[in-house]
Amino acid sequence: MMNARIEEGITPRTGKQAGDDFITVEGLGKTFSENRMFGSSGSAVRAVDGASFTVRRGETLALVGESGCGKSTLGRLLLRLIEASEGEVTVDGTRLMALSQGDMRNMRAKMQMIFQDPYGSLSPRRSISQIISEPLEVFGMVQSSRQRRERVAELLSQVGLSPTFMDRYPRQFSGGQRQRIGIARAISVNPQFIVADEPVSALDVSVQAQIVNLMQDLQQSRGFSYLFIAHDLSVVRHIADRVAVMYLGRIVEIGPKARIYNAPSHPYTQALLSAVPEPDPETRRARIILKGDVPNPANVPSGCSFHTRCPIAQDICKRERPKLAETATATATATEIGHLAACHFAKPMPIPVG
Amino acid sequence: MTQTPMTQAPVLAQGQSATATTKPARPLLKVENLSVEFGPKASPIRVVNGVSFEVDAGGSVGIVGESGSGKSITSLAVMGLIPSPPGRIVEGRVEFEGTNLLEMQKARLPDIRGRDIAMIFQEPMSSLNPVMTIGDQIGEAIKLHEKMSREQRRERIVELLKLVGIPNPEGRLGAYPHQFSGGMRQRVMIAMAVACNPKLLIADEPTTALDVTIQAQVLELMHKIRRTLNTSILLISHDLGVIADVCERVVVMYAGRVVEEADVKSIFRNPSHPYTRGLLQSIPRLNDERSRLYQIPGSVPLAGTVKKGCPFFARCPDRIGRCAEEMPPMFAVSKSQRAACWVTAGANEGATAAVTAGVTAGGGVSEGATA
Repeated sequence: MMNARIEEGITPRTGKQAGDDFITVEGLGKTFSENRMFGSSGSAVRAVDGASFTVRRGETLALVGESGCGKSTLGRLLLRLIEASEGEVTVDGTRLMALSQGDMRNMRAKMQMIFQDPYGSLSPRRSISQIISEPLEVFGMVQSSRQRRERVAELLSQVGLSPTFMDRYPRQFSGGQRQRIGIARAISVNPQFIVADEPVSALDVSVQAQIVNLMQDLQQSRGFSYLFIAHDLSVVRHIADRVAVMYLGRIVEIGPKARIYNAPSHPYTQALLSAVPEPDPETRRARIILKGDVPNPANVPSGCSFHTRCPIAQDICKRERPKLAETATATATATEIGHLAACHFAKPMPIPVG
Repeated sequence: MTQTPMTQAPVLAQGQSATATTKPARPLLKVENLSVEFGPKASPIRVVNGVSFEVDAGGSVGIVGESGSGKSITSLAVMGLIPSPPGRIVEGRVEFEGTNLLEMQKARLPDIRGRDIAMIFQEPMSSLNPVMTIGDQIGEAIKLHEKMSREQRRERIVELLKLVGIPNPEGRLGAYPHQFSGGMRQRVMIAMAVACNPKLLIADEPTTALDVTIQAQVLELMHKIRRTLNTSILLISHDLGVIADVCERVVVMYAGRVVEEADVKSIFRNPSHPYTRGLLQSIPRLNDERSRLYQIPGSVPLAGTVKKGCPFFARCPDRIGRCAEEMPPMFAVSKSQRAACWVTAGANEGATAAVTAGVTAGGGVSEGATA
């Protein structure tokens, strides 16, 4: 019965509309306990803490934050590549946490992943054809070797590579080409959702533009959703529909792209945006320089975890953890709704600059 | 290092570039027609090809380029740090305060390196000694170049740590590198680099491994170093945002060659080389409303594979027949901007003639060809 439901989901003709919620995440969390090798007591790290959000059909939700904020872990929790400690992920009506390993494997035909490191994520001893067709074979989507080669050729040309590359090996390709191969593999099974974990971070600027454009073109023609994990806010600005900002395992702000970039309402988001060096020597934005480093995730500060670095923190911030709450006022327009921030003093541009 | 600096050196000395004539003072660093090869001598791969640029005293110059452009090798060559074998500098001059470092005795080089010219790298952990306290490591840099009593040295170390913004510096002298975060390690590296008040600080991708809020702190620190110590900066980066933030002049490298060199405003407002233009158009920006990014077709050629003509020819939207055959020399576009492009040169007829004498980065292409 489970399979029947999945089969139905794969076909694009289900009458479901772009913009509907495709994935719903509720209270998702992951606690890693440090290994106790030398008899040390070991402290627990809450890598992801109470994440709740939705991903709509055909949209790109970007997940941004600095290293160690838990964004990659969250991406993997969604695919159950890492098992969650608590919470639920519902994909197209199916609750993932209850699925058996086998049912989960079938589910992955809908949910694929693109990795950051185009050098490390492709097996060096398998041909391009073998790498791309592996998911097709796992899900029984090709019957004969002729059919397989035809499908691989088609996929290669869709990602802008020559089908004649099929019998070559990863080492013969550049970083950008390898990332195209990774993308071809991910889209081979017609997924409806792709987690892309820093897909362009390791690439040169001119190659990065090519891959970003390719990812957008594929999304437009196939209508799948992306969870686009990145630390580069300029790339995110370009590709995302909505943006979620993470700090120390928690989502501190989420909303439509225009709101996040034009009216950041959490002080961390505002500082993060102001820190991006603009490729223009004549626009010097007032940069907000945060004090110190991100605290150790094994020892998250009390209350609002950002209070140790926040320029506008008050006493309440040390005591009470702010809820992720709607920022829109009663008079908000439709485009402003769905903009949430977890700050006791949330308002557009909360840190005064001048 | 078999070939001594080229025979045309005196000619180049007379034929000052357009920029040099406007400021009579001698530049602090002058790199001239520098070429670096790797691999066997019988079939060498030229990774840096006829590179020329200058850094003025107190100035800040950025070298920008993608991987394989030769920007890091150029900076290593300036420091005399090219691993040899397999690498070697085959021609050119690296003049520091008028002295050609390439002709200097090997034994004297460490004197200048570390004291007058210091370098910081992308990955601070690999440049710090993991089993030595940071106090001792900074102290060692001072001990090498300056005579001081133990107490004076300790005071100097604390002062340096304070300068780079390490909280509680007295308390951190005995700490080891692993006890610091990435951003703090980069600060320690910078403290070590500026320990002897260098005249030139070479920074190779100093913030690439850092998070954006930490990057902002380190960039701020670099501004502070320039302000308080009057240190000149040569910054190597792939990030045009970082370059725009720190540098007054910019050198754009592509496939081992300098393709454009200008003041930072001209690079961003009026880029003259098609590669610079493509690069600037392909970066997403925070205030971007475009639905698609501009993409430069193709990819960077492998080092040493372009045998003749302009290395950007295959990807260039503006190419003409001549580009396939001859490497263009540097043409002056304006008083403070030069670009190695036949098409740009053709569009600036007036400029063309004025330049030929100032060609410093033509890399062996005959100057007569411009006529």
